[in-house]
Amino acid sequence: MHIPDGILPVSVAVGGFAAAGGMTWLSLRQIERKHSDPRQGIPKASLLTAVFFMASLVHIPVPPASVHLVLSGLMGVVLGWYAFPAILVGLFFQAVMFQHGGLTMLGVNACLMGIPALLAFSIFRLRGLLGETSRVPNAVLGFAGSFVAVALGALLAALLIVATVPAYLDASVERAAVTGLLAAHIPLGVIEGVFTAMVVLFLLRVQPDLLKESL
Amino acid sequence: MLDRARTLAPGSNSLSGWETRVKLIGLLCLVFAFAAVRDLRLLPLMVITALATYRLTALPLSYLISRMKVPGVFLLAMAVVLPLFSGETVLLQLGPLALRLEGTLAFISIAARFFSIITVVTVLFATTPMPTLVRAMSSLGLPQLLGDMLLFTYRYIFQLADDLHRARTAARLRGAHFGSIRSIKTTAHIFGSLLVRSHWQAERVLAAMTLRGYGATRVDISRRAPGPGDVAALAACVTLAGIFVVTQAFFL
Repeated sequence: MHIPDGILPVSVAVGGFAAAGGMTWLSLRQIERKHSDPRQGIPKASLLTAVFFMASLVHIPVPPASVHLVLSGLMGVVLGWYAFPAILVGLFFQAVMFQHGGLTMLGVNACLMGIPALLAFSIFRLRGLLGETSRVPNAVLGFAGSFVAVALGALLAALLIVATVPAYLDASVERAAVTGLLAAHIPLGVIEGVFTAMVVLFLLRVQPDLLKESL
Repeated sequence: MLDRARTLAPGSNSLSGWETRVKLIGLLCLVFAFAAVRDLRLLPLMVITALATYRLTALPLSYLISRMKVPGVFLLAMAVVLPLFSGETVLLQLGPLALRLEGTLAFISIAARFFSIITVVTVLFATTPMPTLVRAMSSLGLPQLLGDMLLFTYRYIFQLADDLHRARTAARLRGAHFGSIRSIKTTAHIFGSLLVRSHWQAERVLAAMTLRGYGATRVDISRRAPGPGDVAALAACVTLAGIFVVTQAFFL
């Protein structure tokens, strides 16, 4: 889901920055509304961004290959509205340090991961209704939020690439490309969902405060 | 992997002395102009411009090639899909496979943009320390919250890399295996522990920063005013970028 430089037209890149700017503005507004001094949350959000950045470099073996975690869903669950700026920051470092996703595509990639992260945040917030200390609802909502985040991110990326890159692909090839990309992400979605559920249960036991952004 | 990134640092080259804000604007103009190039006739000039910019640094070519490896996988997928499935004019038929003209040209265009943009981005980030670059972005209008998050995150990435390495080594010594899908539980617990420890650390960091006056005053982050040389280099970049954009938009 990290689209590199040079693949998509510049109009998409500019549109991505505009959309990411709007989403960042919305997130900062929500953060300001919730916290009297938003700067209080910066060290926590930054440290957690760094943790997510590191975790995304860890590969989980799925024989015969291995996958690296995206963690957009888990970021939404733990960081709440800070998730979008945190993803923007994380993607910036991934782009400039490892060329993992392009710098001109930073806005596009931030939307592809950040909007699903906020959706995961919304899904996980339902735990307020189902029981914020109960293990099963937390695990299920953590799994669901993360799975939906990966699936939505993959769907948006596939649609964007197919709709804007090649001018001469016929409809059947386009459908096959979108289906193939989605199918390839289903195992990743399940793995991320399980991983998120495990982390949520761990945090619920050890430091439930860390999940309070979702309430 | 992080060690390789940590080597990003300004060396003794023509671009490391360029005032950071001006360099940022100039090279980003070039990058977005490259992203706008579509016509095949402009591609050689674009690649030459990118390589000439890279030549101004003291960096070896192997360093640039190493930066292409990760995104190159995506490009490889494009190299298969586009020439074989995109277009109607068949250039070469090899059994059931057909190499198509339109797809091949689209791939060449993408590959040239990809190479040129990554080359200039590498120049920008390899000749400027990250904190300097973030301060320059802040002085150009980046929201303070984002600027602070960038600096803090950068500060902690390397420390957390060491923490993660230590935690995985400790788990391995206790008998954990990271070679199968079952390792997901161990990885989740290590990750959860890192989150909890980072949360505690963040509380201490915030307290220490508040004591040192964080948030009370805004520090003037501009380092120095751009000199005539900086402005001339910026003008060269903007002119080149303008040539690419105008030629692409109006003459091709």
